[in-house]
Amino acid sequence: MRWILLLVFLLAACSKGPQADLPYIGQARSLAAEWALVNEQAVEGKLTGSYVQTMRQSAREQLQTCEKALSQPQSDYAQEITAILKQPDDASPAALRAHARKLKRIEDSLESA
Amino acid sequence: MNPLELTLGIMTAVGGFVDISELVFAAKAGSMFGYALIWAFALGTIGMSVFGEMSGRVAAIAKQPVFNLMRHRLGLKLGLITLIGSLISTLITCAAEVGGMALLLNYLTGLPYLLLAVASVAVLMATMWVLPFKWIERTYGLLGLLMIVFAVAVVAIHPPWAKLAGGFVPQVPSGLSSKELLNYSYFIVAILSAVLFPYESYFYSSGGIEEGWGAKDLLTNRVTCTVGFGLGSLLAISILASSAQLFGPINVGPEIPGTTALEAAIPFGKTGLLLALLGMLFAVAGAAVETCMSNAYAISQFFGWEWGRHAKPWEAPRFTLAWIAVMLLALLIVLTGVDVMSLVEYAVLFSIIVLPLSYLPLMLLANDKSYMREHANKWLAKSLGWLFFIIVTAAAIAAIPLYLLTSGGGG
Repeated sequence: MRWILLLVFLLAACSKGPQADLPYIGQARSLAAEWALVNEQAVEGKLTGSYVQTMRQSAREQLQTCEKALSQPQSDYAQEITAILKQPDDASPAALRAHARKLKRIEDSLESA
Repeated sequence: MNPLELTLGIMTAVGGFVDISELVFAAKAGSMFGYALIWAFALGTIGMSVFGEMSGRVAAIAKQPVFNLMRHRLGLKLGLITLIGSLISTLITCAAEVGGMALLLNYLTGLPYLLLAVASVAVLMATMWVLPFKWIERTYGLLGLLMIVFAVAVVAIHPPWAKLAGGFVPQVPSGLSSKELLNYSYFIVAILSAVLFPYESYFYSSGGIEEGWGAKDLLTNRVTCTVGFGLGSLLAISILASSAQLFGPINVGPEIPGTTALEAAIPFGKTGLLLALLGMLFAVAGAAVETCMSNAYAISQFFGWEWGRHAKPWEAPRFTLAWIAVMLLALLIVLTGVDVMSLVEYAVLFSIIVLPLSYLPLMLLANDKSYMREHANKWLAKSLGWLFFIIVTAAAIAAIPLYLLTSGGGG
């Protein structure tokens, strides 16, 4: 049992590069899609002001955390996350969803690699 | 059996069933795997009903709280290890609930998160000081019923009912890659852990002793555990189903706890949003109180101190100091700025590891005719008890490797 756990720890510690960044790419993809959904519902008048503001702030903060955690800061997915962070708070849902879709494509290609 | 008491007991169980971990994992499971993990919630709920009913029956007949049993059945050394493991996992869960409360208040008011964490703890401690046990449990449990908005919302968005019903059948979805299969396995373990949190049975059985349950209360105990927990679980399943319908197809994770409230906002607008946020707030607040008091019960019962909220706070001073210390420690963890989602992950991971050791002594005593007389476990309770013991033991063994291999279900 101890050996299995040690092996698992080693495997987890050894992974680097795009594969190691996969959880952050997935997280960033979801955050962009959540931000888009919030903005879409806000335009329709279905949300309160404080909720919208807090959700946008959370999305931005978590995206920044993802960006900092990446092991490949020059990669195409890192640039995509940076591009999302440059969006204004009330960015159009379509623009945010386009970024989410791009990240999803990168995520899928890395997963199948 | 007083019908009013029974109804209130069931409603309290429904409103008090869901906590921050279930909110997080139900929404994530729905978006990632559609309806395929509904069965994990259903299975966990049956397990919770089995162990909850057993702990309530032991409390009513043998008048034995769980941690007193643990010390006698596992011996001092193993009992102490289980106590420490339970204290750590329940403290982390309590911190996750306090952090969850602050986040939900943040969505409602826009005020700073850390200030709201301090305010939340102050309000929780005031209610725990002032209110007797029954009213602490009922206040939060009944207000948590506002979460019924999630069940109404899932009906309003017209999900594919046949697919949803199919989710109740245990399954492994076809076409999953090996990585997705590991994630799916991690979610099964996490959901079982979130539904079967050990603090729930500590709190429930200690409450039974506080309220002086006897043989006359066994039917109430059984109905509360089966109907109350079953209906409570439907709220978590509603969140999962709405997430499968609304979030999965548009690549939403969800990564922000507040996103779950959108499930009610999309069909019902601002009213739905506010009901969802308030329902989640009271459900999470109730869980914060339960986790805090569970730790105080555990320590007091293990060391044989005077315990309970039937007494004035100063009449059980070490018990009172214990729950104050637990709540302040939970606040301290939140004030370090640790992410609530990470706390939820750790809470679920630690809890599943201590779960088998928490349930074994309870089951052994419930089987013991010298203590339980004619109320000892019959064949059905015995079989279900051992079946779930095997399931939680397997989940406990798999938990850490799965967590590491999947980065906590993230990839």
